[in-house]
Amino acid sequence: MRSEKLASWRLIEYTTIAVEITGSIALGLVVAGSILALLGYDPARGIFLLVFGGLRNPDYLLSRAAFIAMTALAFSIPLLAGVFNIGGEGQMYLGGLAALLAAVYSGNAAVAILAGGLAGAALGLIIGALKAYRDVNEVVSAIMLNLTLFYVIVYAITAELYDPVAPHESIKVPKGARLGVIRFGGLKLHIIFPLMLALVAVAYYLLYHTKLGYEIRASGFSPKAARYAGIDPKKTSVYSMVIGGFFAGVGGALNVVGFTYYIDNLLTCMYGMGFTGIGVALMGRNNPIGVALASIFFSMLVLGGSRMQMLMRVPKEVADTLSGVIIVALSLPYAYRMLISYIRIRRMVGVGAEQHS
Amino acid sequence: MGMGGSQPAVEMRGITKVYPDGVVALRDVDFTVRKGEVHGLLGENGAGKTTLMRILYGEIEPSRGEIWIFGRRVKFRGPWDAIRQGVYMVYQQFSLVPAFTVLENLILASSSMGRAKLQDVRRKAEKIEREIGLEVPLNARVEELSVGVQQKAEILKALMSEAKILVLDEPTSVLTPIEVRELMKLLSRLREMGITIIFITHKLREAKEITDRITVLRRGRVVKVVETRDVSQEELAKMMVGREITFDITKKAAKAGAPLLAVKDLWVRDDRGLMAVKGVSFELRAREILSIVGVAGNGQRELVEAIVGIRPVEKGEVVFSGESITQMPPSEVYRRGLVYIPDSRAVGLILDFNVTDNSILTRLKQFLSGGRILWSEARRYSSRIVKEFNVLVDSLRTPVRHLSGGNQQRLLVGREVASNPKVIIAAEPTHGLDVAATEYIRSLLLKLRDEGKAVLLVSTDLDEVFQLSDRMAVIYEGQIMATGRPEDFTAEELGLLMGGVKCEAKS
Repeated sequence: MRSEKLASWRLIEYTTIAVEITGSIALGLVVAGSILALLGYDPARGIFLLVFGGLRNPDYLLSRAAFIAMTALAFSIPLLAGVFNIGGEGQMYLGGLAALLAAVYSGNAAVAILAGGLAGAALGLIIGALKAYRDVNEVVSAIMLNLTLFYVIVYAITAELYDPVAPHESIKVPKGARLGVIRFGGLKLHIIFPLMLALVAVAYYLLYHTKLGYEIRASGFSPKAARYAGIDPKKTSVYSMVIGGFFAGVGGALNVVGFTYYIDNLLTCMYGMGFTGIGVALMGRNNPIGVALASIFFSMLVLGGSRMQMLMRVPKEVADTLSGVIIVALSLPYAYRMLISYIRIRRMVGVGAEQHS
Repeated sequence: MGMGGSQPAVEMRGITKVYPDGVVALRDVDFTVRKGEVHGLLGENGAGKTTLMRILYGEIEPSRGEIWIFGRRVKFRGPWDAIRQGVYMVYQQFSLVPAFTVLENLILASSSMGRAKLQDVRRKAEKIEREIGLEVPLNARVEELSVGVQQKAEILKALMSEAKILVLDEPTSVLTPIEVRELMKLLSRLREMGITIIFITHKLREAKEITDRITVLRRGRVVKVVETRDVSQEELAKMMVGREITFDITKKAAKAGAPLLAVKDLWVRDDRGLMAVKGVSFELRAREILSIVGVAGNGQRELVEAIVGIRPVEKGEVVFSGESITQMPPSEVYRRGLVYIPDSRAVGLILDFNVTDNSILTRLKQFLSGGRILWSEARRYSSRIVKEFNVLVDSLRTPVRHLSGGNQQRLLVGREVASNPKVIIAAEPTHGLDVAATEYIRSLLLKLRDEGKAVLLVSTDLDEVFQLSDRMAVIYEGQIMATGRPEDFTAEELGLLMGGVKCEAKS
């Protein structure tokens, strides 16, 4: 009896989510299409390219998604504990640099990724501890660290770690420490995507099946209730920042040892991905599985956008606007919900409602 | 009343309110208040009293219905509109700026109505105070005043805005018995001055004492409108709950056993760093219910939080089953069999978590296997609580937020009791519950006592305290004023003690 009820409850929940997402995407596409039509482009072709253009290069699409998923987790795990980790960007830079150095010195990819994660985690620890025990606003300290680290790393690459053959690039990750590529016939897939899936699964397990995850979520929802239960919300928030920083650092490391094999002197290979992660985290509703899907979808839009620019001569700004419209539409389900409850009220009050108002 | 022929002060017709989540708070309510009367709005928690009045005050928009004030149809866009029309509502939570003096608060209120000069406001306030014999120190900062005086300041503020209709939402819930008596006197004087008063309450005695007429609400509908002198308290009670209520839960005589919990000279600070508990000592034995009685905010919460280890102990000792548990982490205290039901369900439960998640909140360690949560065991435990304590839920995965207050409380109490503890600390365990849930929880506490457990009841509800206690300790400003059996105190004495007046006869 009870299990039947359980099943139906889940069914309703999942159906609702599915309907919401489909509706959002449809709405986003209609608006995006209208914008294209208004500007005199072929909306059907534009939309097609925007959504599916990225699929021409699935390997790049999925690799990109892998980095973004990591920085999205770096935002969403602390957020579940009630901390706002804006510092994913800096944690990712430092993770990338640490991974590069570790790869060069150890010649081992696993060591490099671990080093990247630990570097990011250390940074998360600093921000989290300052917040928890010295009441320093985590957004302020994180933004300052983002900027500082950007320039420190730019300096390190330009002045110390540059490649004599190509001076705008850093020294390269040695061959033995590069993550491989899987090939299926003509298709190739960088190994970072399956790695990302594994890490997402780890994050999910951590959040929903371990003591620490329970404590993180409890502290985020209600610090008072957490304290009552004997959980220290401050300590938990620091742990969440350490874990978040770890994922951001791994994101940077995966980028370096798994894809670019070097860092360029302006960090263009990583620049902005930490901030992108924030949007993707929200789009994925702070759930690791949602984050994985959102990061793939987001990468599709980014790559599709550049394809649209190339083939239709649509300016970059327009392409970005269209991706933006779709992402905003995806955050609308909350508004849908309000609308639905509004209709339900009207029905309950009855037809008589109108004549009075 | 002799008001025949004149327009009623308030007339609300066919008011219906449906909230966005589909909850119907009011269904087709007609509510009429005559000019110059004290009108009681009586009902249990959740009957819709406050919602109806917030609609009158322009704070909530009705889904349907009309409002007439002194014969004029009105549509308030917000409380400011209502105040301009002479309607003023005094909430349980006052709308005064704590850091301002009373006078500054009055100026703030009148400046929002137009320009106000300091001297004019002072003169007007003093005049009103003289006229109705209201004593509020105008130059004192609000946060330094007692709750009773703050309430008077709030009423003064209402009168300054020329309120003709005064709505008081459960005005006595925060007051000591003596302050209640003063308030009643004040209300009589206001009535003599021709001010119409709507008195929201669920306390029968007060309704009977002060009102001229009463509208009884039950589950969002009007049950009856009565002349107060024509009904007895028992009849009112019946209308309010829709069935005969048993005011007396049968209680067996206590046979207190071995001491289980001893608190020795405990000193605790509150969140602001001020000493909130000052040298409290008591002993709690098996098979007894000891109540800590007092007006809210006299150190009860700090005391209890310190006992279970949530709050640091400044000085003193807590001994449980012969072992010191002073400053032990709460989870360890709970594990040893001392459990705590906090006064707020938003603290005892995580409202966004589902039923299963909440069932293991204070007992996480029991459901762990090396850092991993054993969800299947958690679900089994959860469904046991749900079954045993009659929690109405459609699924264990339902977020607790969607449960009614009564069901949340059953889950909370059930979770703590299901672990078979030795000592239960229950703070305001029936706060905000309907009669059925209240009865259930109270009987449960008595049953636990009879099973040999010790209960420390922290409550501001005197009915509850008299009904359940074997012994009671009155707390005032962090000190125990007196300890004794319920029959040792008259209501009068208890009121004095709760108000900080020490009786000579007892210690």
